[in-house]
Amino acid sequence: MQILRKPLQRAYRKAIKLGSKATIDLIKKKGLSGRGGANFPTGSKWEMVSKEKDSEKYLICNADEGEPGTFKDKFIIEKNPEALIEGILIAAYAIKAKKAFIYLRGEYDYLESKLKKAITKIKNRTGSETPIEIVIGAGAYICGDETAILESIEGKRGQARTKPPFPTVRGLYSKPTVINNVETLANVPLAMLYDDWNKNLRLYSLSGNVTRPGVYELPLGTPLCDLIKLGRPKNPIKAVFFGCFGGCIPHCDIPLHPDAICGKECMLGSCTIIAVDEKQSIVDLVTNIAKFYEFESCGKCTPCREGTYRILNILENISMKNADMKDLDTLKELAEVIKETSFCGLGQTSTNHLLNALKYFRSEFEERVKEKKTRKRTAR
Amino acid sequence: MSLLLKELKQIQGKKGYISEDSMKKLSKKMNIPVAKIYAAATFYSQLHTKPQGKHIIEICNSPSCYLNGSLNIIKYLEKKLKIKSGQTTEDKRFSLYICSCIGCCDKAPAMKIGKEVYTSLTKEKIDEIIKGLK
Amino acid sequence: MNIKINNKKIECEEGKTILQVCKDNGINIPTLCYQENLEPEARCRLCIVETKDGKLITSCSSYPKEGMEIKTNSEKVKRARKVNAELLMPEHMDKCFRENKNHDLCRLIHELGIREVRFDPKKKYKVDLGASVIRDDNLCINCGRCVAVCDKIQSTWAIDFAQRAHHEHVTPYSEKNLNDVACIKCGQCIAACPVGAISEREHLQEVLKVLKDKKKHVVVQTAPSIRASLGEEFDLPPGTLVTGKMVAALRRCGFDKVFDTNFGADLTIMEEGSELLKRIKENKGFPMITTCCPAWIKFMEHFYHDLIKNKNMSSCKSPHEMLGSLIKTYYAKKANIPKEDIIVVSIMPCTAKKFESTRPELKSGVDYVLTTRETARLIEHFNIDFKNLSDEDFDPVLGMSTGAAAIFGATGGVMEAALRTAYELATGKELKSVDFKETRGLDGIKTGKVDLDGKKIRFAVANGLKNARELLKEKDKFDFIEIMACPGGCISGGGQPLPYEKEKIKKRIEAIYEEDKRLPLRKSHENPMIKQIYEEFLGKPLSKKSEKLLHTRYFKRSPF
Repeated sequence: MQILRKPLQRAYRKAIKLGSKATIDLIKKKGLSGRGGANFPTGSKWEMVSKEKDSEKYLICNADEGEPGTFKDKFIIEKNPEALIEGILIAAYAIKAKKAFIYLRGEYDYLESKLKKAITKIKNRTGSETPIEIVIGAGAYICGDETAILESIEGKRGQARTKPPFPTVRGLYSKPTVINNVETLANVPLAMLYDDWNKNLRLYSLSGNVTRPGVYELPLGTPLCDLIKLGRPKNPIKAVFFGCFGGCIPHCDIPLHPDAICGKECMLGSCTIIAVDEKQSIVDLVTNIAKFYEFESCGKCTPCREGTYRILNILENISMKNADMKDLDTLKELAEVIKETSFCGLGQTSTNHLLNALKYFRSEFEERVKEKKTRKRTAR
Repeated sequence: MSLLLKELKQIQGKKGYISEDSMKKLSKKMNIPVAKIYAAATFYSQLHTKPQGKHIIEICNSPSCYLNGSLNIIKYLEKKLKIKSGQTTEDKRFSLYICSCIGCCDKAPAMKIGKEVYTSLTKEKIDEIIKGLK
Repeated sequence: MNIKINNKKIECEEGKTILQVCKDNGINIPTLCYQENLEPEARCRLCIVETKDGKLITSCSSYPKEGMEIKTNSEKVKRARKVNAELLMPEHMDKCFRENKNHDLCRLIHELGIREVRFDPKKKYKVDLGASVIRDDNLCINCGRCVAVCDKIQSTWAIDFAQRAHHEHVTPYSEKNLNDVACIKCGQCIAACPVGAISEREHLQEVLKVLKDKKKHVVVQTAPSIRASLGEEFDLPPGTLVTGKMVAALRRCGFDKVFDTNFGADLTIMEEGSELLKRIKENKGFPMITTCCPAWIKFMEHFYHDLIKNKNMSSCKSPHEMLGSLIKTYYAKKANIPKEDIIVVSIMPCTAKKFESTRPELKSGVDYVLTTRETARLIEHFNIDFKNLSDEDFDPVLGMSTGAAAIFGATGGVMEAALRTAYELATGKELKSVDFKETRGLDGIKTGKVDLDGKKIRFAVANGLKNARELLKEKDKFDFIEIMACPGGCISGGGQPLPYEKEKIKKRIEAIYEEDKRLPLRKSHENPMIKQIYEEFLGKPLSKKSEKLLHTRYFKRSPF
């Protein structure tokens, strides 16, 4: 696997030799883009911050990998923390950060010692003086959002901030800040060092109804069928969920590329694939995901706070065969308005799975609704 | 630069929950209004402002675990500990929470007790784990 | 910059939000969480507008860009607004449709044409029945306005959000009641709340009860700022002075006497002015700080214990408490009514006065406090046609006052009134101009200097407690400080007519200074009735009797 190659601090030394500007240019040239889901060019982000006049700047490594079904960052921290730390030091050097933070999600607290060890080791070997502080989260999905992470590190409720100003202008403690994902930063030394570094390789987290779940490194554009085959499902796969936020589609032959997935009104995001076989009920799974959002909504804006609760309510009624067709319309309207008007990415994407499920698997919902009517009739 | 979240986690780790008293002390120490500390402490699901059991069990019920039978495991745990999720056993040994994905989707169903992760759970495994903690 | 709103070309300045641009151009956009002068938080998602590419953005937090095309009322916008309003509504269904209150959310419901809500009420919070402020979390829509005011304007931090998702709610720490935390009862959260989830603790029912009681002699007094704001409750334009109508209406409500807190204000100036001169003579106790504002007093008792220890606080009771004391002693004796049979009701722009009236150390000079809003409800209760009443005068002796007292209602007023008297008492010379311009206006902190017969007095005025905190950091640079908790002073106190708008506040302040100009006497020490009461009863300022009746002490309270 490309991601497991060991740069052995050579990339850091190369960066020091190149200087800040040339390092950023190199990253730009190599075409490294953000792996948190937005695919924003990493070099450009660095450049923005490096051009800010403020003397105090920060780097944050976003290790708040909260998207259900995603475990690629954990994989990197477990298998190649040295590359990650080296990437952090290079980034911090390139943007002249005063300090770097690793925001590690609370659920991964057991990885802290591994990271600490790697930090000491790499800092000793590189002689870098940039302090790296690990901040451990405390259980909040929203803190994966780049502005919520800032609030959280500042000790506040992890609620997203209004953008603009973007973190690159006013980030942590109102200072220019770069926030990069673990996979992005781990790729930094690799991209700098190896001529054969492939910018299109991604880490896919495959899980669900497959017998061989795990992290697969494959290029963008890999057919979905191929990946599912690698997972060796026991039963035929009916649907695929791209995490909770990415929506779902019936299992089909589609290239795993953001553009293609987007065409299906889904999002590839951080390459999370949850396979669902034909024995599962989509209604129940969608209800399960709705519960996740009802629990994880930060509460800041109306549609997400109240809407996710109402959606779960209606879905539970449907699951309990206690709803009628009108509820399906309400469900759709709610889901659309939440998507259109929520404050941050969490809310805006919180109903993708539902909207797509209503589109592709509507019959399953209708069946549940109809079951109520038959039950009533027999009762009479 | 002081980090409130870090302090809160430390108290949670040491005392099992963040008491009113701890919040007031922290407020004085860090010069942060106590209302803001409470606001932050109640926002995060791994911080508690009420006393918890000695072992806090967080069991995942996100899609990957759900698709691999987490509901049965949760039901079994609830029955075994005689509590519902969100509650603490009478002997104050266990608190049980259903939590969001803990990133063990490739070894589902999974749960966490403290910093320990338990994966590929079965009823038998649950028996063994709980027994080991008694 | 040129943009298009609803297909109409509009030129707009840079730096203004889309919401402001729309307002400037007469385009109405509904808002709930937006507040003047505070950074938009964009929580409620009702001010959304549609951009050319079909995206919905919040107008309160977005800025126009050259060539932008916006629709404020498209079908998409309407649907989203309706659904979001509906999501906020369940707990209000009953109240809003039954009572048609004048709250933003209820008005919105009518505007959006919502007749039916698809969701059931879900909230089951305990109502917090505080001594001054009542919070019903069941009606709360999490707009965050009260939290923002408590934090960014008052820096009191009595409330904040807790929990998350749909469990998120506003609360003092550890779900305590407002009475049990460092809440200063200023009531600015009431003024901020767009849905009536926070309101004053009513004394109205109690007052109605004593008005019916034949055995009780019920006396009412009205604060300086009420005459400039009460009219708004009866659809008179902001800034209308309704002194005469107010007195007439209160008589018709059945009060036995209508006195003027302004008399108490004049008295406060006599005592406080003398206190200042005494401190100058003894050359200690600086800066001296005013104590008219009960929210500031409580704030100080929670957060500034040094000011008690170092005796910086004036010992004067607030004007209505001074008058209350006099009513139950001087007036009781004169009118030959047993003290126990006299009930004193204060009409105040303030919710903190309600708490103040329960302080044991004040020995209940005042029995009940009604806010301006409650007073309007009282007048409505008796079906009085307020607008068409003929003017009447306050009852004699305790109803006579000067222009110095009139301006107590605005930030800087107490300072100006005190300086007018202190100057003349200290120098024995007549002031050339009684207008101290440095104390006027809506700036958060105002400073100036005055020469009192050789002693330079450096004075400072702060309104809004965040400003007070700033000022107190540099308190040693001043000799005399006035602090009012509410931004703008009592004129925008927590008990004033809703909703609060800056323009309205300005009009009220203008009216107050107009009243000052209009009055024949403009210095407290020139008030003949004040002279009389000292001659007949109190002796002189700071006499033993004055100390006993008109002065008080302060207590350290927990900062939590």
